[in-house]
Amino acid sequence: MPSSGPDQDRRPLKITKMDDSIDVTEATTGTTEIPSYRPDAKTRRYDRQLRLWASAGQRSLESARVLLVGCDATGCQALKSLVLPGISQFTILSPDLTTSQDVATNFFLHPDSVGSPIAEQSVKYLKELNPAVEGSAKIEEPASLLVSDPDFFTSFTLILATNVEPSLELQLADLLWEASASVGGPDIPLITIRNSGFIGRVEIQLREHSVVDTHPDTTHTLRLDSPFKLLEEHARSLDLTSMDSMEHSHIPWVVILVRAGILWRDSHEGKLPETSEEKAEFKELLKKEKVKGDEENYEEALAQAYRVWGQSEIPWEIKQLLVDESVKNVSEKSKNLQILLHTLSQYVATPPHLPPTSPSLPDMHSSTASYVHLQNLYKKEYQSDLARFKGLLFQTLEKIGLDEGSIADEEIESFVKNVGGVGIIKGTSLRESKEGKGLIAKSIEEYQYDEYDGSTTCFAMHLALLASERFYIEHKRWPGVKCKEDMSEDNRKVEEILKGILSDKAKNGGIEDVFVESIAEVARGGFGTLPTTAAFLGGVVAQEAIKLVTNQYTPLDNTVIVNLVKSESAKFKF
Amino acid sequence: MTATVHNGTLNGVASSSKLQAYLTDDTRFASIDKILDRRGPWTDERFQGGQETKDFLRTQSKILVIGAGGLGCEILQNLALTGFNDIHVIDMDTIDISNLNRQFLFRESDVGKSKALVAAEFIMNRVPGVKVTPHHDKIQDHPISFYEQFNIVVAGLDSISARRWINATLVQMAQDDDEQLKPLIDGGTEGFKGQARVILPTVTSCYECSIDMLTPPTAFPICTIANTPRLPEHCIEWASVLEWPKVHKDKKLDTDDPDHIEWLYREASARAAQFKIEGVTWALTQGVVKNIIPAIASTNAIIAASCCNEALKIATACAPYLNNYMMYVGNESVYTYTFEHEKRPECPVCGGESLTAEAGKVWTLERFIESLTNRQDLQISKPSLSYAKGALFWPSPPDVYEATRPNLEKLLIDLLGEEEGIVVTDPALPVSVNLSINYV
Repeated sequence: MPSSGPDQDRRPLKITKMDDSIDVTEATTGTTEIPSYRPDAKTRRYDRQLRLWASAGQRSLESARVLLVGCDATGCQALKSLVLPGISQFTILSPDLTTSQDVATNFFLHPDSVGSPIAEQSVKYLKELNPAVEGSAKIEEPASLLVSDPDFFTSFTLILATNVEPSLELQLADLLWEASASVGGPDIPLITIRNSGFIGRVEIQLREHSVVDTHPDTTHTLRLDSPFKLLEEHARSLDLTSMDSMEHSHIPWVVILVRAGILWRDSHEGKLPETSEEKAEFKELLKKEKVKGDEENYEEALAQAYRVWGQSEIPWEIKQLLVDESVKNVSEKSKNLQILLHTLSQYVATPPHLPPTSPSLPDMHSSTASYVHLQNLYKKEYQSDLARFKGLLFQTLEKIGLDEGSIADEEIESFVKNVGGVGIIKGTSLRESKEGKGLIAKSIEEYQYDEYDGSTTCFAMHLALLASERFYIEHKRWPGVKCKEDMSEDNRKVEEILKGILSDKAKNGGIEDVFVESIAEVARGGFGTLPTTAAFLGGVVAQEAIKLVTNQYTPLDNTVIVNLVKSESAKFKF
Repeated sequence: MTATVHNGTLNGVASSSKLQAYLTDDTRFASIDKILDRRGPWTDERFQGGQETKDFLRTQSKILVIGAGGLGCEILQNLALTGFNDIHVIDMDTIDISNLNRQFLFRESDVGKSKALVAAEFIMNRVPGVKVTPHHDKIQDHPISFYEQFNIVVAGLDSISARRWINATLVQMAQDDDEQLKPLIDGGTEGFKGQARVILPTVTSCYECSIDMLTPPTAFPICTIANTPRLPEHCIEWASVLEWPKVHKDKKLDTDDPDHIEWLYREASARAAQFKIEGVTWALTQGVVKNIIPAIASTNAIIAASCCNEALKIATACAPYLNNYMMYVGNESVYTYTFEHEKRPECPVCGGESLTAEAGKVWTLERFIESLTNRQDLQISKPSLSYAKGALFWPSPPDVYEATRPNLEKLLIDLLGEEEGIVVTDPALPVSVNLSINYV
């Protein structure tokens, strides 16, 4: 056995404590009446989605008000998948009357709707999907409403604009971008949709978005390399030689590795294995501890040994967030997540310079008692880390003039349990991308077509859509809307516009085949709606809307092109 | 084109004149016609376009939808709007309240009714002119001749065994007769993720070829459940797998019966308390025993749309169809991956080569069977094994089980002697599998 270090003197009463946990005298037995939590009708209705975003996500959804500007199959398909999971309210804004073409593509219309206001008709059929959701129609010209009553737009949680005129799209984007310019101003995400035949595009404009739970694969912070005191004491207290083989084969692998790491450090000047020889030696020592060849817990420990020399630290993405100005300097107008991250950077500034311990523990081969005991160690550490974190948080809140209760306990706890699962997205303005400035300019400059990489075709599709939008502004109609003969003429005009967008990229006055083909496919659709494309994009938009409203999962940032000719898609940040 | 109105519930004479005007207005299909009248840069040579293509889609083609659940409702909607006019739908299920967050053709007042019937009626009311024929039964109840009438089969199923069955059936049909090659379009979802694929039986990889891509169901070792529970799930499994049969004897556990779930929840909670394990809830109990997969409308919309887009492309050749697999991942931004899944030469359904199984020379038959049930490419749980001389081990019927049970203890090599081949059947396997044994 490697010699133990000076800390051995501090060996506490952990063994007895561990034995205590097997004692069931105070445990509840089957005779105690357990309250029934049989779910109510609402929980049963939403059961399959609550398993994804839980009650916190559902609460956000149930307070969301969504505006749809324009009324077509794509927009209504998106609303369908938002009404079903139970948003609070939706409004459809459109001055148009229903045509038979609308009915033929949009499931939320009926032949009886022909001639009636389309917004009113679609609201009626969408509301049927969920009695808990309010819906209303606003039969007005969006462009004039933007001028006469801009507050109408900023009263929503989220705005969808489906296949509206390019100029209206930009005016709407400008209004929302401006509104979010001031700190604390409304930052309303705008999702814009454009589709033609098999080709579709979704863009999201927002200034800043917080993700409170990205739902990472793992939330464990096992601290194998730098065990907290309780864990270290527990690992040191194990006396392998006095264990029977049953007990020995049920030590959780986490404890095996923590113990082996401590012993190694004791005999290596406080260092963990670094070179590959040392790592191999470490594993050899583990193997020698086995009392039988096939101890599953030791097999697990050997497989997980690499974690001992992997450093416990704040994930890279989170470190990037901590140096952001909005996190470094917080005020009473800061978002909760920014204040929490600000507190986290203070938290890690003091030893042991590690993020808070998570109470979660993966399942592992172990006896119940050893496992539950180990789990309790993590839970205790989490509680004490949480207390320290809250102390720092309350100081910060006081400093910026907010009271202790301004961030709910539930939110603080979920942050501390899972600091690796947050994120902040910084958006760009739609106008910048539409005008070919900023990031898209760089993408155009670096563009290279690759026939084996579908995303390069999708990029060309995006430019074809962009060029078509400029065609619309010029001609007040979409390319390809007319009959067959007009195709080549329209296509040629769009090609000219695209050449302008490519500028220096369009060598010798010509453009690559992929652009010609992309324009041809986009114009083929004539900016009409294929019900399948509408349903696909509607689903994509609804997923993104749910992610934005619940602040869970990572949303699109900021453009996706869907090419249903080739059944593929690609996303870009413009 | 004349369309029949399958609709008895329209309100009054005024609406029926509007309806007549709508149904005789051929310009209503203007958006779809744009891609059916003109070819795109990637459109196949064999695309005719124009009236002939539209006639085939709208008056001649016949399409089968398997499943009228989360995907099925969306698939029916999309097919009806795309112009498929003669649609059949099979589903043996009835409507449950937990379906209503996504199965949008159903309402609270429909709970308990047949999914196939309600869905068919809804579609015919909303999209007049379309004929949807419902079948409230199992796919296995229909003879081969039933499947022969369709041009395309679209499956939106949550059951692996039903998928394996329809896949094997369609492969068999194509193997027996080239004329009977029916494209199978299959969709599946889980949470924010899903996949759509096109299977051309005998031509492309089939469902069985990719069976090893499925994540194996989480199975907890019985000894953990019985002796060393650590997770709330272990306590729930203890209640359902060990305690239920012990206490209720022959009464079968019905995971749809809230009283049964209640009983399991109480038993599991008591056991968890005894072992100081936290986290047994009603929702978790139900989730574990029913193996509930999270499901939302938006993901179903995406995958069903993709399936129907492929159906449209196959029926009209207006664009190349998916070759042959697309995955959609929505939990981290938007990500799709489109690729060609390759045929597996030793696929028990569509491959020609026989499967080999490795066995130790000192393995008992029981040990060998265990190795089969662990195989990712077989996904079986209760196999029956036979060889040239008859049954090696059959778990049922009881008399054969009793007769073959002693074989479990014997060495495989002794049992087989000179024989090299074993035939395996299993409730999950759509075909019998010939295995050749390789001793290592």
